[in-house]
Amino acid sequence: MTTLAALATRPLVIALALIVLLLALGQALSPGFASAQQILRLLIVAALLGIVAAGQNLVILGGREGIDLSVGGVVSLSAIIAGNLMNGADAGIPLAVLACVLIGALFGLLNGLGVTLLRIPPLVMTLGMLGVLQGLLVVVRQGIPSGRAAPGLSSFVSQPFLLGLPGILWLWIAVGIVLALLLSRTVFGHRIYAIGANEHAATMAGVPVKAVRIALFTLSGIFAAIAGICLLGYSGSSFANVGEQYMLPSIIAVVFGGTPLSGGKGGYTGTMAGAVLLVILQSILTTLNIDESGRQMVFGATLLVLMLFYGRGRAMRA
Amino acid sequence: MTAMKRYPFLPALVILVVLLVLNGAFQPRSVSVAGMTGLAKTYLALMLLAIGQTYVVYAGDIDLSAGAIVSLVNVSVVLLMEHWGGDGLSVLAAIAIGLATGLACGLINGVVVAALRLQAIVATFATSIFFMGLALHLMPVAGTPAPAAFWRTYGGRVLEVPFVFWAIIALAALLTILARTRLALQLLAVGDDAQGAYQSGLPATAIRIKGYALCGAFAALAALCVTGDTASGDPLVGGKMTLFSIAAVVLGGSALSGGHGTVVGSLIGALIIGLIGSLVYFVGTPSEWQNLVQGVAILLALMAGILVGRKARA
Amino acid sequence: MAKLKLSGISKTYGATVALHDGALAVDAGDVHVLMGANGSGKSTLCKVIAGSVRPDAGAVLIDDTPVTISGPRVARALGIGVFYQELSLAARRTVAENICLPDLPMTAGVLVDRKALAARAARTIALFDGVAGDGFTADATVDSLRADQRQLVEIMKALASEAPILIFDEPTSALDRAQVERFFAIIRDLKAQGRAMIFISHRMDEITAIGDRVTVIRDGRTVGTWRLDETDTATIIAHMVGERSEPPGARASRPPQDETMSGPEARAPRDIALSVRGLGGSGFTDVTFDLHRGEILGFGGLHGQGQSAVLRTLFGALPRSAGDVTRGDTALPLRTPREAIRRGIAYVSGDRRRDGVIQGRPILENLTPIHYLRQRLMLARPSVLQQKAQAAVDALNTKFAGFAHAIDSLSGGNQQKVVIARWLMDRPDVLLLDDPTKGIDLAAKADLFALIRTLARDGMAIVLYSSEDAELLGNADRILVFNGGRIRRELAGADRTRYNLYHAAYEAA
Repeated sequence: MTTLAALATRPLVIALALIVLLLALGQALSPGFASAQQILRLLIVAALLGIVAAGQNLVILGGREGIDLSVGGVVSLSAIIAGNLMNGADAGIPLAVLACVLIGALFGLLNGLGVTLLRIPPLVMTLGMLGVLQGLLVVVRQGIPSGRAAPGLSSFVSQPFLLGLPGILWLWIAVGIVLALLLSRTVFGHRIYAIGANEHAATMAGVPVKAVRIALFTLSGIFAAIAGICLLGYSGSSFANVGEQYMLPSIIAVVFGGTPLSGGKGGYTGTMAGAVLLVILQSILTTLNIDESGRQMVFGATLLVLMLFYGRGRAMRA
Repeated sequence: MTAMKRYPFLPALVILVVLLVLNGAFQPRSVSVAGMTGLAKTYLALMLLAIGQTYVVYAGDIDLSAGAIVSLVNVSVVLLMEHWGGDGLSVLAAIAIGLATGLACGLINGVVVAALRLQAIVATFATSIFFMGLALHLMPVAGTPAPAAFWRTYGGRVLEVPFVFWAIIALAALLTILARTRLALQLLAVGDDAQGAYQSGLPATAIRIKGYALCGAFAALAALCVTGDTASGDPLVGGKMTLFSIAAVVLGGSALSGGHGTVVGSLIGALIIGLIGSLVYFVGTPSEWQNLVQGVAILLALMAGILVGRKARA
Repeated sequence: MAKLKLSGISKTYGATVALHDGALAVDAGDVHVLMGANGSGKSTLCKVIAGSVRPDAGAVLIDDTPVTISGPRVARALGIGVFYQELSLAARRTVAENICLPDLPMTAGVLVDRKALAARAARTIALFDGVAGDGFTADATVDSLRADQRQLVEIMKALASEAPILIFDEPTSALDRAQVERFFAIIRDLKAQGRAMIFISHRMDEITAIGDRVTVIRDGRTVGTWRLDETDTATIIAHMVGERSEPPGARASRPPQDETMSGPEARAPRDIALSVRGLGGSGFTDVTFDLHRGEILGFGGLHGQGQSAVLRTLFGALPRSAGDVTRGDTALPLRTPREAIRRGIAYVSGDRRRDGVIQGRPILENLTPIHYLRQRLMLARPSVLQQKAQAAVDALNTKFAGFAHAIDSLSGGNQQKVVIARWLMDRPDVLLLDDPTKGIDLAAKADLFALIRTLARDGMAIVLYSSEDAELLGNADRILVFNGGRIRRELAGADRTRYNLYHAAYEAA
């Protein structure tokens, strides 16, 4: 009984239960909501959010109020640059991927350096960096007609690739497996948790705190850049600030996945479920027959209610 | 050293003066009375929002819904004024209801974060979606005009002095009183060590809720300024202001971790953001580069403020 | 008639029983001492009275009237003032603001009366006039104060409440002797005024100096209450540890066997594990000593005279401003803990919550970080690591259910053992112990000192700083006494007496 109760408070279990519940609800409200076709479409959208959330997750795990508000900017920038570089030709994909990953890594690295060497709080550093990225977007867009996704990239995102699943889902699964192993079976993973749970003790135990944290922010930039490329493939062409919609939802996906913003505990498996949960929730609201403003209100209220299931802060009185 | 501890906004003040000088050098008219009035008229809203945000940050919390509250109050006030005919009395009644709306939104945030103990960043993001949806519901498209009586007063003069200056004087008085209240000290104590404050017998939850309520009220005041400045309702007008308000608080030398800061600093921070924007324009930056230059300048100012502040305190 | 009476107090956290059927009766004008090993439930009992912990069952009576203490505010209203062990201070507020924070004087109902606040703070601060130390002013912010001064602020905060019932949960752990004596004088005053006081301390001498009655708590149960003038230390310790026939404290304070140790003069230079010359850093200057293999070198003196800072500097956790550290002919730069660890230097802090424990993580992950660094590992294979960690935890009698359990599930003493064991997977040459037994129970202390002596016998060079003189006298081969950031005296052989230690510690700098 106690193990069952403990299980019921595990964030991953909550998220999975809510996913099933919402799918059933969706099916009841609009038959066909939970069809395989539809679920596949939802998972593709969730994968985009999930890949951004992977980087966000790592940064948050590393603690010291770790957060990356600049992911939205990197997603947008990456989508635009990838579009411009490939411009509808498969031949341009490798260069586009390479360039975007490098750019994402660069901005992540800058965030990491600011946060560690200059000790700027992550929220401030990445907020400032978001402003820079948004300015850069305007510059990059000027004069150049927005590029289109290469057909290979589009089919990677939306066409079945293996076992009926498109490439992006395989990519997401791979990211999930790699991160799970990274966090549980590598020294780097253990060091992430150590700096997140008690940075001071980690320093005293010889953990290279700054290097680990710089790596986390760099990885966040890289994941956001990859998501940006995939987003281009999903939408065909990029438009202004497409990535903004990922900034705060990526954080919510992490929280719904059981990683508290204080860091040091949690993992990526839960975050994947959290991303799926968010996407299904949004999708259900679009099937409801209410206008955009009503959908927003219901979405906001539902998020609040769902948050009550997750790591609420400790009561002052024990 | 002790001056820095007591006045953490000193680095921001230096940046502000430098920016004023630069603005004056590139565009002498910008530092005239007319130029200053224009600046105050445009940035009074951000100053107010940053001040509200500061009280929340005092307690170690954050309000990502501040901008959404601005939008909601903006559309509510404009609609009410239009509905009631736009004469003096209806304007006042609308203002009162607008302030009450802001206060109510702040209370909701406070209850959600402090009483229900949700994480402030994600919880106020959720409430911001809700407030934004409500604003959109009330006014689906921007453009409903505010009555002339309202924006003429805001942009006009009283006793030969621009109204905004009176507003700033009233604001200064209000802030002086607020700084001496028990609440200000209690918010800072809770932000410093919430558990310690609670164990000392402070009603920590109620104090944090009051901080959010204060922020909501200031967001409503900011919305009135936005309405006066733009003379219309726009359900998305506040969207961009949230992050700027946080940047202003940080520029002003307050610690986002709570327990340390000043509202005056946030006010200066908001002006810095405004002056950076106008300076980038005055120096003749090509239009498509303006955002980037502004973004880089704000980032550098944020970093410089934090580094100088830390060095001075050490 | 008891001023404060508790009966049947129970509190469980999940599966852990923190308190079971706790009972306590405190008389007005009495100092009532609570004794028990760490995690025995003393602090929980205090927090129930303070209103910050909600009991599952039990009754509280003040002046024979049943009361419900539903929170710290209610406790204050009922006349209960509390000194919290972990302190309840706002670091960025001033001393005066902190003292008055729970009950701010007001004008017009909304504004803080700054004059009244300053006056009340000044009255309280004056109680510690002359012993509070440099920089202790009403306007100083708490974060600019030393640890002992912060503890004084917390004491003042409790005193300013003027409550008839006062709780002091380890109020003296960071104070120097002059401060303790002043504090005790104040307590005697309060006794005369008829206040009822609860006092927790791990220092036996303080307890006998100030206490009237003692209640012993063991494993969350109150064992019994005795008058301190009708019992003795050995009996109390026997009650604290339960069935154990031999009090573990006695083992720790047995003098070392001098005849088996050769004096430091007799050692050859090649036996020197660390040679420190003219070391300077934050709060200490010109520290010079040789540390030999196989010896336990004690650092003594009043609290906060630079002992801890020297150890942290040697470990690379604090910057060095002057001096050299060498081993043989090699100079050791020791700029970061990583560098120090690679050079075979280990450091164990008494502040395990800050410096040691990686909260919320499995015991295994708490054991392995040093091993990762020294073996330059990339992959972490649990089965291999567990094998290597087992010997290390066994050496310390660490009790735990499994490597995968979170370290938080262990008692304080066992947590500290895990933190120490992380250094034993790959043996260091030099072990720096910075008040390692602070706040851990007697049994754990005994295990720890047994291990340290074994390690020294095996050739490890150990520096032991302890705030408890008995630990130093009982374990160190030589003691360097610090005062004002300098080594004032070296006590070796028969000179190692309590008298000499006190004398050197109090000598004018």
